[in-house]
Amino acid sequence: MNPRTRHALELVLDNLVWFMLVFVLVVFSLLIPNYFQLGIFANIIEASSVLGVMSIGLALVIIAGHMDLSVESVAALSAMAVGIMFCSSGIGLGLQLHPDWLMVPVSLAIALAVGAIIGVINGVLIVRLKMSAFIITLASYIWVRGLVLVVSGGRSAQDLAPAIRWFGIQRLAGLPLTAWIAVGCFVVFSLILAKTPFGRHLVMIGGNETATFRAGIRVNRNLIIAFVLAGAIAGLAGWLLAIRTSGATANLGVGLLFNAFAAVVIGGVSLKGGVGTLPGVYAGVLLLSAINTAINLMGLPANFTQVIHGLLVLAAVLLDAFKQTIRQRLA
Amino acid sequence: MSEPLLVLDNVAKNYGAIQALKGISFSIGRGEVVALLGDNGAGKSTLVKIIAGGLEPTSGRMLFEGKEFLAKSPAEAKAAGIETVYQDLSLCTNVDVVANFFMGREITRKVLGVPVLDERAMEAVVAKALANAGTRIPSLRTKVEHLSGGQRQAIELNRFVHWGGKLVLLDEPFAALGVEQTRRGLDMIRQVASQGIGVVIITHIMQQAFQVADRIVVIRQGVVAGDVARNKTSPDAVINMITGETLADAGPAN
Repeated sequence: MNPRTRHALELVLDNLVWFMLVFVLVVFSLLIPNYFQLGIFANIIEASSVLGVMSIGLALVIIAGHMDLSVESVAALSAMAVGIMFCSSGIGLGLQLHPDWLMVPVSLAIALAVGAIIGVINGVLIVRLKMSAFIITLASYIWVRGLVLVVSGGRSAQDLAPAIRWFGIQRLAGLPLTAWIAVGCFVVFSLILAKTPFGRHLVMIGGNETATFRAGIRVNRNLIIAFVLAGAIAGLAGWLLAIRTSGATANLGVGLLFNAFAAVVIGGVSLKGGVGTLPGVYAGVLLLSAINTAINLMGLPANFTQVIHGLLVLAAVLLDAFKQTIRQRLA
Repeated sequence: MSEPLLVLDNVAKNYGAIQALKGISFSIGRGEVVALLGDNGAGKSTLVKIIAGGLEPTSGRMLFEGKEFLAKSPAEAKAAGIETVYQDLSLCTNVDVVANFFMGREITRKVLGVPVLDERAMEAVVAKALANAGTRIPSLRTKVEHLSGGQRQAIELNRFVHWGGKLVLLDEPFAALGVEQTRRGLDMIRQVASQGIGVVIITHIMQQAFQVADRIVVIRQGVVAGDVARNKTSPDAVINMITGETLADAGPAN
C-alpha cells in the first residue's frame, strides 16, 4: 500500500463518524419528504445543544480513562437551582436583580458552581481514596437526583426570568444563542484537548496512567480538574436546559445520561480511555439528533427512538472493533 | 573522586512484616556506571523505585549531592535531576512518538496567554535526538502502539539520553532489544556517563554488567552482598555473590 492511500484511509478512519453523519443526512434528505430544509438542519443543531454540552464533560473524563455517571443529575440540580431562584411561578422565588441582565451572569455562575462543587466531590473521592469512578459517580447520580427532589419537593418551577430566557429566543444566523453556546464549547474544548499540555496530559493519562505518573505529570491534579470540568460543563448543560424549558421540573433531563454515552461512543471515544476527539463527539451528538428529527418527521412513535439509539450504540462499538482490525493491518 | 553523587545509608523497606530491603548502603559517583545485580526478588526494583520517588523507604536516608534527599513523587526526583527507565515500558501507546518523548515536559508557546503545544519545535528536537542516536523510526507522528518492541525501547533510551539530568536509573532496559540495539544502548550508557552523569543499571545479564559498569553492586535478600570494582572481580565471583555461596572475597561490605 502506498503512503497516499494509507493516509487517505487513516483520514477516513479518524473521521468516520463525520462521514456517517453526512451519509445519514443525505439518505434522510433523499428518502424523507421535507427533510432537506435549512430549518430542519438548524433544528438538528438546536435540539442537540444540551446533550452536546453534557457530552463534552463526559468525553473529557472518559478520555482520561475514567467515567462520570453523575452528569445528568448534576445538570438537573443546576437547572433546579436556577429555576428556584429566577422563576416567577411554581416553586420559583422570582428573584429580581437590577439591571435585568445581571441575572444572566449570576444564574450562569450558580449553575457552574453547583456543577463544579459536585465535580470536586467526585474527583477528590476517586483520586484520593482510589475508588472506582463508576461507583463514586453512580452514587452521585443517585444522591444528586435525590437532592433535586428534596429541594423541589417534587414540584416544578416555571416562567424563567425573560432576561435569561432571551438566550433561547434570540437568534443569530438562524440558530438560537443557546445553540451557539454549545458550538462554542465544542470549539474551545476541542482546542484545549488537542492543543494544550493539559489536554495532551489527559489523553496520555487515559492511555497509561502509570507512565504519566512516572514521567512527573501530576496525574491526581489533572484528574480532579477533569472531574471539576465535567461537573461545571454539566452545570452549563443544566443552565441551557432551564432556558429551553423555561424552568425546571424534578425529573428534568432523565435519560440524558444514556444519550450522552451513546453520543460519546458513537463519536469514537473508547470507554477504555485515551482514545477519541471532541469534534468526533459533536458529530455523534449531531448524528443522534439527525435521527431523532427523522423519526419525528416520519411520524413514528417516539418510543422507537430508544430502540434506534440502542442499536446505534451497538453499531458504534462493532464499528470501533472493525476499525481496530483495519488499523492493525495498516500498521 | 570527590563527594559522591548519591549515597544510600541503610535504606530499608518493609511491606507489613516482609522486609524487602533490610538496609542498603552504597554510593554512586559522578560519571560512574554502577551495575546492580541480584536474583529475582532480591529487592533491586524496590530500591530503584525508592530512589526515583515511586516508593517511600521505611527507614534509612539518602544524600544526593551531599544534601539529605527523599523524593516523595517521581516529579520531585525528576526536578532533582534523576531520570528513570523502568523495566515495564513507560510509554503511552495511544499517542505519537513526539508526545511520548516530551511526556510532561512539552514545549509550549503562549497564544493569548494560554500555553499551546509547539508541535513543530518538539518534532524537530525528537528528530535530532533520534538521528544522533542512530535510531530509525519511519514517522514521528506514528502512534507508539504501531511500533515494534525494539523501537519502543529505543524511544525510552533516547529519552533518557536526551534529558540526562544528574543521575540515571535503568531497570533492565535491554529486555526487548536485539544484539545490535543492545550494543548501541550500552554505548549510550557510556556516553551519558562520560558527561559526568551517574548511572545505575539493573540487569540480569552478567556480560552486560561487565561490558558497561565501573562497579558492581550485588543485592541478596535485601542487603548488599557485594560492592566491587569491575576490574577487581570476575563473573564467577559475582555469580557466587548473587547466589550467596560465598561472602568472602566479595569486597568490602561498605
